[in-house]
Amino acid sequence: MADTTVTVQETRRQPFVWRATDLFWVAGAILMLIGAWGMWQRLTGGLGPTALGSYVPWGLWVGFYDYLVWLEVGSLLVFTTLLYLVGARAMTPMKPLVLFTGFIVLVMALLVVFLDLGQAFRFWRVLVNPEFSSMIAVMVWLHLLYLLVLLAELALVMGVGSFGENTRERWLKILAFVSLPMGLALILVSGSVFGVVAARPLWNTSALPVMFLVSAIAAGSALLLLLTVLFWPNKEEAAYQENVARLARLTGWLLLAGVFAAGIIGLTSLYQGGNPMRTEAIMLILTGPFWWSFWLVHVLLGVFVPVLLLFQRGEQPRWAGIAALLSVVTFVAVTLNVVIPTLATPELEGLAGAFVHDKLNFNYVPNLVEWLVILFVVGLGGMLYGLGLRFLPVLRSAKEEA
Amino acid sequence: MSQVEEKTTLPEAGTPDVNRRNFLRYLVGGAGLAALAATPAGKMLEGKSEVSVFAVARQAGDVPELDGTEDAITRMNADLARALQKPVEQRRWAMVIDLRKCVGCHACTIACVAENKLPPGVVYRPVLEEEMGTYPNVTRRFVPRPCMQCENPPCVPVCPVGATFTNEEGIVEMDYERCIGCRYCITACPYSARTADFGFTYTENTPVAAGLVVGQQTADDYERASNFEYGRGYDRPEGRLASPIGNARKCHFCQHRVKEGVLPACVTTCIGRATYFGDANDPDALIAELVASPNVMRLKEELGTEPRVYYLT
Repeated sequence: MADTTVTVQETRRQPFVWRATDLFWVAGAILMLIGAWGMWQRLTGGLGPTALGSYVPWGLWVGFYDYLVWLEVGSLLVFTTLLYLVGARAMTPMKPLVLFTGFIVLVMALLVVFLDLGQAFRFWRVLVNPEFSSMIAVMVWLHLLYLLVLLAELALVMGVGSFGENTRERWLKILAFVSLPMGLALILVSGSVFGVVAARPLWNTSALPVMFLVSAIAAGSALLLLLTVLFWPNKEEAAYQENVARLARLTGWLLLAGVFAAGIIGLTSLYQGGNPMRTEAIMLILTGPFWWSFWLVHVLLGVFVPVLLLFQRGEQPRWAGIAALLSVVTFVAVTLNVVIPTLATPELEGLAGAFVHDKLNFNYVPNLVEWLVILFVVGLGGMLYGLGLRFLPVLRSAKEEA
Repeated sequence: MSQVEEKTTLPEAGTPDVNRRNFLRYLVGGAGLAALAATPAGKMLEGKSEVSVFAVARQAGDVPELDGTEDAITRMNADLARALQKPVEQRRWAMVIDLRKCVGCHACTIACVAENKLPPGVVYRPVLEEEMGTYPNVTRRFVPRPCMQCENPPCVPVCPVGATFTNEEGIVEMDYERCIGCRYCITACPYSARTADFGFTYTENTPVAAGLVVGQQTADDYERASNFEYGRGYDRPEGRLASPIGNARKCHFCQHRVKEGVLPACVTTCIGRATYFGDANDPDALIAELVASPNVMRLKEELGTEPRVYYLT
């Protein structure tokens, strides 16, 4: 063996310095550990270990998927509209972060819906043999195309490729304009997944996709406000205060618009002479065993308190941030209340007792496995987010944009 | 084979009087039919599921002469034999359920479970019980609810991969190998006629009786052996989530039997002759007569799904 001379270039290792954003991946890793058992159950036992059944076939995971879609697409819709249509150039510093956040939330959403499939590893069939008469097929395609556009935007904004500044900006603008109608379509289609189902009177209204759109924009606006409060590059500058105040007002109005859209559906459904199944479903939301998820979680903590804070203390970033956080977190109650109570209303009298089995009942309550899987997915998202914030030029790009 | 054939020979037309000897013949015939119905499972356990277990019925391909006084089953058998001689696309299978005759015994439900080897939590034909009126003027009604085999099935267009479709004979089928298990079809069915297969077995966590013919292991083997849906075997190997586990499942009017000239399990098992089946396109068929009754109704007509299951009230 010939002698070889190895030259070792010693590089001085940077000492690891903890940043506040590391909390994301640390907390994410912990959540993943907690949720690991649930994931194991899901992967080895299919949907059997969940509380899902044949009469309530969609539950926590589908509701969570829609919630994530609202956050992801809603925040990007609001941001793109503000930046490119309204001309709020002061929001530019948030661009990399908003895109990156949207990407992570989108990955989480796709993972949740993947896990909800009874034969999850056949998901590719929707791409290879799609039937576009199905709103789910349209939604999956739109979602994946949206992911591609988002990835391209993210790559450009993080400086991937050797583009000139002008070319980069031009393409970013083009992609942003492409993403607008796609985002709108994605939300409307995800609402139509429910809206076209004639068998479920509470869903089967053209107002539902509109309600989805308004709610998604409200939730997205709240997320945008939260991101602004958490990650604005330089919080000393006046633009920060101004943006927070503007976003706070916008979010407040959008939350009220959401109340209006949901109110239309609610009030028409409550009409005594209307469809009894629809009334039964809406009464289940308002007065059923999970009334608190609607009145306390959504109405009180998700709308009333945030709106009060946003209009009264919206100029103060701390209060605006708290209001946004409350809204973002509690919006999940809305999608769960859209999905579950309607399915928990029997379509035929006598069905509940006709053939008895755990999987043939209308009293669905998400079980531990389902919650643990959600923790795992949120943990994974948190970890990817934290690692992205540390190793990708997301925040650095935000500072450069500023 | 010939023995079975002999046992299943039905009484000659024009002999409606049931004396003791005839009664015994009917009884033996019934036992033969039961043996016939039980055959698939036995055959499948021997790994011969590809063999047509209804060959006996098919041999009786000739349409028997009837004089109109026969039992409904005899007439429906003849109708079925006649329908099978038509081109596939000219058949329109339909079911009529006489609610005045249904006593709520649930035999059809169980026959269906046995025929299709349905696992726990999967049911194709539950019998709904409705209570009407207030005490003391209370009455009960039993409503068997198979798949309605709708002419405009809401479950079909919602499937994102085309795994469910209407076949040439008007039956809404499932392609288990294609289904991704999104359960959208289950939410879209207005009759809750679809259930998801969550992969359970009846023998799970039951005691093992080693050395006995009927023990946990034997029963488990039976449960895991193929059923005969859609004319092919879908076994349930342990530890694997293979189709139809994870899929949506539904009643298919026992197509695997019908194709071989045997009536659906729920029809032959009905103790009150409350369920009728046949080709609604055949004006001479009993089913066509019943569908034309003035007291016929269908569930949720207002949805425009055009069910092929009719109820006599």
